[in-house]
Amino acid sequence: MAPEDDSAADAALLADLRGVLGDRARDNDFERGLYSRDGSIEGSSPAIVCLPTSAGEVAQIVRICRQHRRPFLARGSGTGLAGGAVPVGRPVVVATSKMDSIVEIDTANRIAWVEPGVLNLDLSRALAPQGFHFAPDPSSQQVCSIGGNIANNSGGPHCLAYGVTTAHIAALEVVLPSGETTVFGGLDAEPPGFDLRGLFVGSEGTMGIATKAAVRLTPNAPAVRTLLLDFDDVSEGSAAVSAIIAAGLVPSALEMMDRRAIEIVEAFAHAGYPTGAAAVLLVELDGLPGGVDAGVGIVREVAQRHHVGHVRVAADDAERALLWKGRKNAFGAVARIKPDYYLHDTVVPRSRLTEVLSKVYRIADAYGLIAVNVFHAGDGNLHPILAFDRREPGVDERVKAAGRDIVAASVEAGGVLSGEHGIGLEKRDYMGMLFSAHDMYTQDVVRETFDPDGLANPLKIIPTGSRCSDSFHQHVPEGAWV
Amino acid sequence: MSATSPLGEPLSTAGASGGRTGTTGTFPLMLDIDSDTLASCVACGMCLPHCPTYRVTGEESASPRGRIALMRDVAERGEADDAFVEFMDACIQCLGCETACPAGVHYGHMMETTREALATQTRYQPRIRRLAYRALGMSRLLGFGSRLLGLSQRLGLMRLIALVGRARPFRQLAAMTASLPRVPVRQSPLTASGDDVWLFTGCVMDAWMRDTHRAVQSVIEATGAGVALPPAGASCCGSLHLHAGLAADTRRLAHKVMAALPGEAPILIDSAGCGATMKEYGHLLGTEEAHQFAARVQDVHEWLAARVDDLPPNASGASGAAPQQIAVQDPCHLRHVQQAHLPVRTVLSRYFEVVELDDEGLCCGAGGAYSQQHPEVAGAVRERKAAAIERTGASVVASANPGCTLHLRAVGLDVRHPLEFVAEHLPAREA
Repeated sequence: MAPEDDSAADAALLADLRGVLGDRARDNDFERGLYSRDGSIEGSSPAIVCLPTSAGEVAQIVRICRQHRRPFLARGSGTGLAGGAVPVGRPVVVATSKMDSIVEIDTANRIAWVEPGVLNLDLSRALAPQGFHFAPDPSSQQVCSIGGNIANNSGGPHCLAYGVTTAHIAALEVVLPSGETTVFGGLDAEPPGFDLRGLFVGSEGTMGIATKAAVRLTPNAPAVRTLLLDFDDVSEGSAAVSAIIAAGLVPSALEMMDRRAIEIVEAFAHAGYPTGAAAVLLVELDGLPGGVDAGVGIVREVAQRHHVGHVRVAADDAERALLWKGRKNAFGAVARIKPDYYLHDTVVPRSRLTEVLSKVYRIADAYGLIAVNVFHAGDGNLHPILAFDRREPGVDERVKAAGRDIVAASVEAGGVLSGEHGIGLEKRDYMGMLFSAHDMYTQDVVRETFDPDGLANPLKIIPTGSRCSDSFHQHVPEGAWV
Repeated sequence: MSATSPLGEPLSTAGASGGRTGTTGTFPLMLDIDSDTLASCVACGMCLPHCPTYRVTGEESASPRGRIALMRDVAERGEADDAFVEFMDACIQCLGCETACPAGVHYGHMMETTREALATQTRYQPRIRRLAYRALGMSRLLGFGSRLLGLSQRLGLMRLIALVGRARPFRQLAAMTASLPRVPVRQSPLTASGDDVWLFTGCVMDAWMRDTHRAVQSVIEATGAGVALPPAGASCCGSLHLHAGLAADTRRLAHKVMAALPGEAPILIDSAGCGATMKEYGHLLGTEEAHQFAARVQDVHEWLAARVDDLPPNASGASGAAPQQIAVQDPCHLRHVQQAHLPVRTVLSRYFEVVELDDEGLCCGAGGAYSQQHPEVAGAVRERKAAAIERTGASVVASANPGCTLHLRAVGLDVRHPLEFVAEHLPAREA
């Protein structure tokens, strides 16, 4: 692999890439810096940034990288939180942001073919006139790309009822690490053979680059109600979460925010969130009007048993939109406390939410950090945010140590490493908390089947040393978690 | 790709395919932005879809997040290069990012500081452009030049110059005037009617679009208020200068404007760009007097919205006919900077059915002088706006800023100031 200072190798690679892309292959310091990080807190510069406009160009880029034995990685909007799009080993970054066409909308078959750079919310907006949307709705949905959603098998508040990204991808056109283009999955209800589409979704760019996707369209519900419940006690709030599900309801979304989250969200959105409450639940019910109204009654009843303060039902779409605007901007709004944040993503059994939440606060206190909690309570998907200022000496180590303790506490409670953000670089070395050496070896074998040369987003997901004969020898940049 | 600026030198059009010259030499640049401000961006990326230049390029270097990262880099290193200048120059300064930013980052001030550093420490604004900006503050020169331009347009002189002119200045002149709207040769003056409010008339707008002021004045008067007009010499607010990094010129003009509009009366503005800048005089000058002046400045719709019941009722409403549909295009300096876009709807909906665009106030690409300096990017941004307007189905568009109006008219859209539509609904007045 290319050593750090091999400028001749970089120049030869750049010349070949320019042959395909012209000035859309960039190597100036400024732009390499801009593509050195995503929404996470780590970074390392790529050798070259490519901005292709077609699947054909992506395939050519991959083939050139192969010839030069240079790693490559795809990047969508760069909002990922687990470092999946952080370049490791001076790779070529393939930014799909210029590939942003909605190629075809087929409402009869409830399918749309889209390029990977299409933004999640743009797709739902384009579908709205026909009465459909794309169901996965990460908090970053206004900016995150479909390609990024596929790579991370992304979730979002409404995935509680509708399922995460993999449930909404019918077929994928993929450029394999060999440079060949193929299609996984299909539009038939049950395509024959192995479900390679299912394998690819969530593989974080380690099995190739998706260049086109057939996404499933979800009809917009005829009736929607959004409720805001406030509690004086976090444990009452989290108990209410379990009780709502136990009562037989599956709300389309069931979100929780703690006191600090409520304060920062209200400062940004002015949506009337009750500052001073210990916790709020944001509950959304959708479906046929009769069913939704009955659901509202059940939620009210359950909440009252758990000593709810107020039950506010959003009066109209504008009020609903404002409440969601607050919720979906919570992470960025943390900057109102501290300029940096480290956002975690673990899943715990719903019944143990209260216990793990109190552990999260204790861990943050022990490391002298501020914890803010705003998360998908309905499926037990925690998102503790550690707010910090990276200019404070030694704070990086404390943040990472606290993060590790939070992951460990979640796994101990019977949870998993990640709900929706992916493993990336961030959680790679925590894989051993959940998987045996044999599990990881098996996963690595699968990956090697797709990418025998280890060039597709290397050093992500699976810890180095998972194989007896470790095939990854790339240089690891300073600051990367290894 | 190069284009000729109407204000002078050929400019490179960074953005669409720009920002790849990073190998040229570096030069020292001191960016006086404090580290807390630079650190306030957490790089979450929520701004990207609200940035017009990111929307049309898909490039980090053309995004607010990217530009802040570059400013941070340059502030730390104390040096920059031509690529940095291109990246900074490619920003339209619409501030759609500030509206979208969950962290409340003051991007606009950071960009103004950066432009000012470039203008004072480098040759970012060439001499000829500085002179052109300066002419905006000279009302008589501007008026004379505009009449000359209007006359030349009618006589086809510009086309003649373009055909036979060999010397570079002639070709530049012809190229720059080709994209300009037809400028009036003769305009009748406005007449003051009292001293309840000032109507600020500005520079280019008064020279080219005085009929808009006339309509605005008639709507203000329809509420029963008398309108005072500034004397010649209070001509330019300094908005374009501020965007170009020539903040010293803006401060100089601000003093002139403040002197010309004395007293306590509200100062009403019918150009969103001017209003945004004049509301910033306090921040710019830092004096008590400037803060008091800025507090008197209102967009004319803000003032009217509080008095909308004083306007005559909708006469055509009695006939039972459905009101005319008007699509509202929010100028960025009204929506994102002044947050005063809702009053436009309050006033318009007394007479019309207001139709909203579905683009969340994304910029139209005009950006003051931007559309002249970066025609390629500005054109691509405008295409998105035109498509959003088409999706509304409305045949006419209201825009409360002259720059947006001219930029959108250039692609054949019927765009007028909101109060020009309202003025048509007022009962005929005695002469």
